[in-house]
This record gives sequence, C-alpha cells and structure tokens, in this order.
Amino acid sequence: MSTTGERSTGTIYEQVQASPEFADLRSRLRRFVFPMSAAFLAWYLLYVLLASYAPAFMATKVAGNINIGLIFGLLQFVSTFVITTLYVRYANRNIDPAAERLRDRIEGGA
Amino acid sequence: MTTTAILAIVAMGLVAVASAVIGSIGVRVARSTSDFLVASRTVGPTANASAISGEYLSAASFLGIAGLILRDGVDALWYPVGYAAGYLALVLFVAAPLRRSGAYTVPDFAEARLRSPVLRMVCTIFVIIIGWLYLLPQLQGAGLTIAIVTSLPSWTGEVAAAVVVVATVLLGGMRSITFVQAFQYWFKFAALALPAVIALVYFVGGDRTFDRPAPPVFTAATTVSIDTDVQLQVRAPVDLTATGLVDGVQRVSASLRWEPGTHTVKADATLDFLAGSPVPIVAGAPVEDADWLTPFPEGRPYGLLATYSLILATFLGTMGLPHVLVRFYTNPDGRAARRTAVVVLALIGAFYMTVTLVGALSRLYTPQLLVSGDTDAAVLLLPSAVLGSSLAGAILGAVVAAGAWAAFLSTSSGLVVSIAGVLSTDLLGTGRVRDFRLSAVLAGAVPLALSLFVTRLDFSEAVALVFAVAASTFCPLLLLGIWWRGLTDRGAIAGVLVGGLLSAGAVGVSLAGIADSSWAGVLLYRPALVSVPAAFLVMVGVSKLTAKRVPADADQVLLQLHAPERLGLSRDRLAERGRPGG
Repeated sequence: MSTTGERSTGTIYEQVQASPEFADLRSRLRRFVFPMSAAFLAWYLLYVLLASYAPAFMATKVAGNINIGLIFGLLQFVSTFVITTLYVRYANRNIDPAAERLRDRIEGGA
Repeated sequence: MTTTAILAIVAMGLVAVASAVIGSIGVRVARSTSDFLVASRTVGPTANASAISGEYLSAASFLGIAGLILRDGVDALWYPVGYAAGYLALVLFVAAPLRRSGAYTVPDFAEARLRSPVLRMVCTIFVIIIGWLYLLPQLQGAGLTIAIVTSLPSWTGEVAAAVVVVATVLLGGMRSITFVQAFQYWFKFAALALPAVIALVYFVGGDRTFDRPAPPVFTAATTVSIDTDVQLQVRAPVDLTATGLVDGVQRVSASLRWEPGTHTVKADATLDFLAGSPVPIVAGAPVEDADWLTPFPEGRPYGLLATYSLILATFLGTMGLPHVLVRFYTNPDGRAARRTAVVVLALIGAFYMTVTLVGALSRLYTPQLLVSGDTDAAVLLLPSAVLGSSLAGAILGAVVAAGAWAAFLSTSSGLVVSIAGVLSTDLLGTGRVRDFRLSAVLAGAVPLALSLFVTRLDFSEAVALVFAVAASTFCPLLLLGIWWRGLTDRGAIAGVLVGGLLSAGAVGVSLAGIADSSWAGVLLYRPALVSVPAAFLVMVGVSKLTAKRVPADADQVLLQLHAPERLGLSRDRLAERGRPGG
C-alpha cells in the first residue's frame, strides 16, 4: 500500500509518541476504562453468584412478591446507564483537555 | 379474516411502504461510508441516537424479551441488561479507536491493522455467517407475527419480510437514511408503550396481582392450540377437554382430569380450559409467581453457568455485530459520539424497561402462552387480551403488529446492506452496482431458505447464539488489535477460526435441537464461556509463537488509534482506497 512509506517517515508520530502529554492522555483513559469495566463486570457476576449461593437472601421479600433479587436485577439497567454517564463526564472533563494539550503542543511545535 | 387481521396487514404494509419511499426519495444508491459522514453533519445527536437504537432493536428485542420474561421471570432480565451493557462495552473499548482507524467494518480494520488478505477473507466470511444467523430470527419473527395476527401460514410472513427488505435495499438502501431509522425507533417504542400503559392501567385498576400463591389461572374459557410437542407441569388437579395425542392416547373432544404431575401433549392437539382453571406450565419454567420473581428457582440446573455465559456473549458480542459497528460512524467527532452514546443507552434502556413490563403483565393476561410454549407471541396478544375483541383492541393489535414489523425491517435491512457490502467488495470481486444488487438478493435469500427449514428457537435465545459467535470471533480481534501491539496475522486468523468454529458449531447443534439440559447441553446453548476465552488464548498464544510477524508499522497504527483526532494522524481509508462503485 502506497501510504506505508509516508507513514513511517512522519516525524509527527515520533513527536506524539514521545510527548508527556500523550503519556498523560493514555494513562487518564486507561485509569478510567479498565477499573470501571472490572467493577462493572464484578457487580454483574456478584449478582449471579448471590442468586446461586445466597438464594434465601435474594428471595427476601420487600413488598408482596417483590424481592431483593428482582430489585437488584432492575438496578442492572440503572448501573449500566450510570457508568455510561460517568464515562462521558470523565471524558469531557479529563480526556478532552488532555487531548487539547497534546494538540497544542504538536501544532505549536510543528 | 378478522378486523384485527385486516387492520394489521394494512398497518404493516404502510410501515413497509413508508420506509421504502422515504429511503429512496432523492437518494442515489447511498451505501458508502462517506454518505454516513455527510449525513452526520446534518443530524443532531438525538436523531442520530434514535437511528442507532432503531437499527439495534430487533425482533428479539420487540417480541423475544417479553416472551422470555413471561416464561422465565427475573432470570430473563439478563437478556435486555446484556444487550444494553454490550453497547457500553462497545463505547468504552472500541468505538473511538476504530473511528480513528478510518476502518468502517471489521475486515477493513483487520487489513489496516495486520495487512493480511487471508485474515480479511476470514473476517469477511464471519461477517456473512453472523449476518445470516442474525437475519434468521428476524424473518421467523415476521412469520410468527403474520401467523398470530392473520392466521396465514408463517412462511408467508417470512417470504414477505425477505422480499420487502431486499427490495428496500435495492431501491436505494434505507441504510443511509438516518431519519427512517430514527422514525422506526419512535414507532417501535410507541407501539410497545401504548399497550404497556393500557395494560398497566387495567392492572392497577383491576384485582389481578403477582402475589398468587398458586400457578396463574385462566380468567376466561380458553382454547390453546399446541404447535410443537410440550411437557406440562400440573400442580393442582385441572379439568379440560382435549383433542389430539395427549398423554400417549389419541382423543377427540375428550373430557379429562389432569392430576398433579407432568403431562405430555403432542403437536396439533387442542386443549380447552374453563375460566378459573389453574394454568399448566411448560416444563422448565417456574410455576408459581414467587418462583417466577426469584432468581434461579429450584429446578433450573446450571443457572450460574448459563447466566455467566450469556453475560459474556452479550457484553462482548455487541461490538462484533456488523450493522451496529458501522452505525457508530455517523458522529462528527468524539464528543458528539459520546453524547450520542448516552442518549442511545437511555433510549434502549427505556425500550427494554417497557418490554419487561409487557412481559410481566402478559403473565396475567395471556397465560395460555405458558401452555403452548409460544411465549414470543406475548407482545402481539396482549392488546386483545386486555381490551377484548373490541375495535380499540383490534386497532391496538394492528399498531403492535406494525411495530414488530418495523423491528424486523430496520434490523434486517441494516444486516442485508452489511452482508451485501462485503459480499460484493470481497467475494464477488469488483464491487460494481450490479454485484451489489446480486449480493443483496443473496444476502436475503440464504437466511430465508434457512428460516423455512430450521426449527424456531425463542427469538432472544437465537439472537444470543449470534452474539456468542460475534463475541468469540470479532471481539478478541478488535480488543487485541486495538490494545495489544504483539498481535500477528497468524495469531488473529487462528483465534478467529477457533472461536468461530467452537461457537458456530455449538449454534449448529442447538439449531438441530440436539442439546439437552446437562452442563454440556447448557454450554451448547451458551457457548461463549468456553469459546471466548479459547479464542483469546489461541490468538495470544499463536501471536507469541509468530512474534516475528508483528507488522513493522504496528506502533504507528496503534498510535493512530489512540492519539486524539485532528492531529492529522487519522485518515479516511475510503479516500485512500478510492472505493469502486460507491
């Protein structure tokens, strides 16, 4: 592909890669995405574990036949939405400014 | 034909015609990705999010989830929760880097990242397999809708849906028409919310509850037609009139008294129950309300295994669905993409909550489905069950049927365009328009043929199988391709093949109806727990063994994926390739 050579010579890549702003941007993203996904999956798996091994707890009735298991189940929807909202807020506050700083450096320096 | 049937056919016809017309007005054959980008500049995040949701919510969502809630209760919540969470995984891990790669499909991405034509071909084949498997329940859903609402044989609905979808795509492809998809989301939502609200009003004003200590009861004299062999659980003695092969004896209008225990009814039998009789319930489903509302009631073996596997498949599979991935490019920049993602999750979540409500209420209003096992029909039957056979009931029934129809059309046309796109560019050669037309016909014809011959699984289960295939093939490729520089072409090919063969093999066995309820049978229905880790392990292992083949420009490509936009690093691969025929 004709673009390969062009890519490998671009010093802009080296500039970006070497810049502390890029390292900062990457770590900000990873610091959020990976722990959040782990927490999110753990919360899901915990529910299933509880349902399997603590059925008496999950079957505890709150009102009529409405039990804790059902309420936790419906909360899964809520938690998915909450995490997305958190991510968007985090990205707008922390990732976009970091990307902006990187852009300023590259465009200012080039 | 009844009033409902006529009204429903008219309403479904209107939805099909409206979509086709809006989709073809003033549009040249618009299916290249640059058209998405053009569209995105004129469309706000809300309309865009509606369009994404409109395409995502298929027959499995519209009909299938309510049916599973009706039968399995709280355990079925994992389907909608997983479908929504999979979307979140897509947003967190894949959407932004893939945008920056400039690749719009998995085969494009694979080629850009690893420069291997063989891998590209393997990916193409799996796009087609996943697309066809996903189309299958859509067409069967159309068949079921026609059969329930009009009493015509279900193949008429399957053929009609396939013809309408392929014709719509050939007319210009509603793919690029964001507003058609957006319209279809709101139409589907309204068609579902209307009966949900009405049933809720009746429920609140009536004296039916979910606190019954016994199985549900028939509220009126009810005739149940059995279409497939069933085993029924009876807890309290029940009187009925039966015609057909019941408990091994051929009967004609015989009065029976079923004692507590399990009773077998063969296909084509008819059972008549009196008002007030307890409802016999298909084997494997919880009988009493309290069990139905409790996770993992006794008598559901391997619930943990099955649920973990389902969560894995839905959480990781969404990112590998061909029609979902492409849709995400209709955002002008990362910020708008994120805003869109929140709106999409709100829209999908609202829809799934409504579906769940419909499923729960249908336990009170359409318990006969628990006898026949045809629980996918719950949404379609709820209006007439609540409002009776009045004109209002007929109109509402027609609206719901049209909503279901909108669900098949939007998802199916997205799939047909995706399949036809890769068929025409990668398999049939040149990607000229004539090839695209031929490809679109092929893309619809194969699943139609399958749908006429394969047994119908519950829609949400059939779709979950497809998610498992996507999670076992494209998810490892995308995640490792985006986040790990050590991936090689050989590793990717081996991983995709191992994950794909394991999961698709399990799907094949399930479709053939061989799986039983042992742990092995559970894994055949829910292969992801085995096939996804296997695919990841093979992909990493073979990559390590062939570490010399890591592409020379791997660092640069990864940088391009992770550096922010507008640095001049991302490029539109289409502009580079000069896509023919687009």
